[in-house]
Amino acid sequence: MRASAANREQSSVYPYLVCLVAWAVPGAGHLVLGRVGKGLVFLSALTVMFAFGLRLEGRLFPIEISQPLVALAALADLGIGLPFAVARGLGAGGGRVVALTYEYGNAFLIVAGLMNMLVVLDAFDIAQGRK
Amino acid sequence: MTSHIGLMAIFAFFVSTVFGALMRDEPMEQLRFGARLFAAFFFGGIALGWLLYPLPL
Repeated sequence: MRASAANREQSSVYPYLVCLVAWAVPGAGHLVLGRVGKGLVFLSALTVMFAFGLRLEGRLFPIEISQPLVALAALADLGIGLPFAVARGLGAGGGRVVALTYEYGNAFLIVAGLMNMLVVLDAFDIAQGRK
Repeated sequence: MTSHIGLMAIFAFFVSTVFGALMRDEPMEQLRFGARLFAAFFFGGIALGWLLYPLPL
């Protein structure tokens, strides 16, 4: 009785844990769920895309409530998970507005974060048994 | 790398790779869907560029 209640609780928490892992490390959710091929594709493509954005002198935006568009861009940037924290920790992502590739860099950073959010939702669906 | 078309191609490559893997399950289908998406992004971008060319911006 107690074991089945624990299992039920575990199964209800499990998809959310997968989401957390999938958000923190791009593709890790799929790797945990045994979708190794997809997981490796997401891990490599999203991480390299994010690194490319930094290389193109894009900016990791701060969350500024007074500027809604900047705040939205910051939320999209945060979607990539740990690479965001690592880049911030290394002092990268300051952005150079006068750089020719500044806007391209922003597009790479923002889209990498948004696509990782979609990957998290896909991992959630798989963990829920919908896929 | 400062070539606009080169950067557009790289961007299209990453996006179509992720969507190809996300939207399809079979490797061949993923490849086909990704290639189609890449072509749509790349040639769509060029077509849109030419459409906007006459506008006085």
